[in-house]
Amino acid sequence: MIGKQGRMGRSYFVDEAVEEYLGGLQAAPGSCVTGLLAGQSSPQRDFVVLAVQTPHRESEGQPKASKGVSPLDDIDVEWVTEHAKQVSRMLPGGLCILGLFLVTPPELSKDAQNALKRLIFAMDKYITKGRLWELSEEDVTDRVTLHICSKTKKLVCKSFDVKDPKSSAKPADWKYQTGVSSSWPMLTCSVEVDLQIPVTGSSSDNTDKCMKDGLRRWAKQIEAACCLINGRQALDDSEFISGQKKNPKTTNRQTLPARIIVSDEQSELDERSSALVQVCSGSMKVRGVVHCRAYIHNNKPKARHAAQAIKRDIINTVCSRVEMFLEDLLINEGSQKGLCSGQQALPRRVFAPMPISGLSVCDYMFPDESTADVAERLKEMLDCETPEEGIDTSLESNQLFSAVSGSEITNSRDDDSNKHVISEIQDGTPKIQKAPQYYAGVAVAAAIALLATATSLLYFS
Amino acid sequence: MVHSEERDIIFRLKGILEFACQLENPNGAQSQGTISKSFQGLRSKVSSKNIVLTVCNSPILIWPNTGFRSNVESLMEASSCGDILQYIESDDSGSKKSSKKKDKKKSGPTAVNMKLLFEVTEPAGNEAPSLIRVSTQQHCVKMPLPLDCVLSVSTDESLATVCTGLVEALNKQLADMEEVVLRYRKGSSFLVPQPFHFQLPEPAGFTTVIYPAGVPDSQLQAAREDLHRRFKLPSDRPYLRRANAFHFPDAAYKDGYLRNPHIHLNPPNIEDAKLYLVQGVYSYHHYMQDRVDDDGWGCAYRSLQTICSWFQQQGYVETAVPTHTQIQQALVDVGDKEPRFVGSRQWIGSIEVQAVLDQLLGVTSKIMFVSQGSELATKGRELANHFQTEGTPVMIGGGVLAHTILGVAWSENTGQIRFLILDPHYTGGEDLQTITDKGWCGWKGPEFWDQNAYYNLCLPQRPKTI
Repeated sequence: MIGKQGRMGRSYFVDEAVEEYLGGLQAAPGSCVTGLLAGQSSPQRDFVVLAVQTPHRESEGQPKASKGVSPLDDIDVEWVTEHAKQVSRMLPGGLCILGLFLVTPPELSKDAQNALKRLIFAMDKYITKGRLWELSEEDVTDRVTLHICSKTKKLVCKSFDVKDPKSSAKPADWKYQTGVSSSWPMLTCSVEVDLQIPVTGSSSDNTDKCMKDGLRRWAKQIEAACCLINGRQALDDSEFISGQKKNPKTTNRQTLPARIIVSDEQSELDERSSALVQVCSGSMKVRGVVHCRAYIHNNKPKARHAAQAIKRDIINTVCSRVEMFLEDLLINEGSQKGLCSGQQALPRRVFAPMPISGLSVCDYMFPDESTADVAERLKEMLDCETPEEGIDTSLESNQLFSAVSGSEITNSRDDDSNKHVISEIQDGTPKIQKAPQYYAGVAVAAAIALLATATSLLYFS
Repeated sequence: MVHSEERDIIFRLKGILEFACQLENPNGAQSQGTISKSFQGLRSKVSSKNIVLTVCNSPILIWPNTGFRSNVESLMEASSCGDILQYIESDDSGSKKSSKKKDKKKSGPTAVNMKLLFEVTEPAGNEAPSLIRVSTQQHCVKMPLPLDCVLSVSTDESLATVCTGLVEALNKQLADMEEVVLRYRKGSSFLVPQPFHFQLPEPAGFTTVIYPAGVPDSQLQAAREDLHRRFKLPSDRPYLRRANAFHFPDAAYKDGYLRNPHIHLNPPNIEDAKLYLVQGVYSYHHYMQDRVDDDGWGCAYRSLQTICSWFQQQGYVETAVPTHTQIQQALVDVGDKEPRFVGSRQWIGSIEVQAVLDQLLGVTSKIMFVSQGSELATKGRELANHFQTEGTPVMIGGGVLAHTILGVAWSENTGQIRFLILDPHYTGGEDLQTITDKGWCGWKGPEFWDQNAYYNLCLPQRPKTI
């Protein structure tokens, strides 16, 4: 199907489960429902495997006065984009938020396109802020907007190139299929992270910037690393042969181990004749093992795209946890952030099955949380019930130290400052803080959303 | 040096390891211990299961510390290391067509380049990450260590032995680097330890020395004296200056000048003659190079440049080869020429060459005068002696031409002589094939000289220094 600019429009192959979900949406008469569409893009076509409506934002007791003339104006853009960000943290590698859907009553259908356009650009901007890896030439930057008329159930599917703020809607195909992702192979690996990040200056802004710089250096190393998938180097355009014939009836999903091999080279440092010495007010170490996953579609994927997917998951998972931890810190410690010493656990990653498609989603558990908390979050964010037994917490084990003794902080590379860590650790058990329940409660939810935005702006401006 | 029938392979393993440490008090007594501990950590890293060696331009990956694992099934512990060669894709695209033909004469070892990498997957534990914050004032030191180890083996040596040898070499190099870092450290100022490889006469053989970056050769005299003693090297000529470092066969010279074009020539066929040639490495300088159009007047300047390049590459001087302008300025500075000489196209002769070598390089030269070109045929003994003891290129000027003599083929019995000439009058590009085919670098007989003109030869003398 030839689009307006003479280029082929995008084709979206959508799992039937999504059709079922969209069909089951209930919208109050006269109102709109927004939601996310998630899946995987490839140069030729896109695959949608998940649809989730925007969770209900509990009102402050009184019904919110209508802001504008139409319910479209009432769409809480901030809330939609925050939901998108939270969900994107829950998607393993290879998967991302591909777009948005909007259900409106027939009288609003004309203006729906504009609303979708505003939303899709705002969402992409928010999600991609602070991302540590760069888009490559071949990344698809089209995002889909799906409009559904609540009465006729008619679908209007378009896409926008979110890289170009001036782009206009391109027509796109929306096709339902069974088992779109049923035979997508899954790449996995466990990655050891050991980062030493010096902190210069003493304000929390400095801490954030230092952390960001340190993570970015590490992310570049990962991006440049050699990747072996199933023992073969995945570096070129050769087809990524997973060794399994496409068969929608098979229920076995192939699991392929990936291995990442890095070099310590940083070209800007290599030409120096002397060491880089910084006077620091402290340092931060991120240490531990992260478990990573990525899915690859099976429509002739290239080997290096598979490598890219798992590498991006590695970078995202470390980055997300640090972000979440610092957001939490901001709430709990306020302006004291960055000045205290100690070892604290970053949230650990757990996996759960995605509604119907058989892929998995992930979430992050703070040390004082349980699988019940995770199940609750999955219900709110992904609109699906997950039995607690289905949540796999075995892939990353609990951090073994206790903040009191500090004696388990073992270093193979000791440094002068270790003794200070031990002596300065807060006495007694750390305050048991309930990690922010993202959408529980009234004022807290709003405050958190706002603070999260503020932190992100601070952190990644 | 006689090569055995099995070709030698030089395995060269390079990689960057980041050295990092935190010093509370860089001038305090504890800092040395902290630095040593960091180096110890790096030695552990290199001995760990996580290190991976890759052979450049090939798909080969080897895990040397896990009982030898490789991603290429046919390469196993006991495989001979020569088997690696078939997996390497050579990139011949850049090399000149000519050198492929001429290189058959060169029988040298093959260099296999390897890179040091680290695997971050397959970790020992699976403890989820934590964030450790320390807030004491400290100096954070980061320095990339440019590891560069060399192992020279015969092709049938087993891969396992090669890998073990390379890992040992890495460990030793880290220990050597630690020594250099500690010796040259001043408070929180650390100099990067850089490895240099030297092909020394027996018993030392192929040796790697670590020098601190940024410290010029002139300030490392004492270190070199010590090494000369240790390696039993003569104390009157340089072996361990940075410029003396071994040039690996596959490394290109970045400046684009040809090195030693004479080695591609067949020696002249004279009965009973011995060859007395220039020692070491020089660059071929000639007309029109460096975008200077000196066609018709610059031949002596170019010969002088060739000689300067020899002193630079043998490690006697660190200054770059002088330009025409710098040469002229030097002559003005010593009072030999008027200031307006600079920028002119005036010729120079052997006496000026001698003066410039003295002024710019601190090199003294002997002048040999020959009243008639025909007499040069009788100078075989002197020239042979010169190439044997000094081994420097000789500038010869006479008639209206200047040339460089790189050696003689001389028979003590018959007196027959041929001269190895490097001709600065060549105006083309750095094309080895043309230069050797057309005799721009070639063996000439006594008839090459203008039989009636007088000639002056400038014979540069090696300074007695290490």
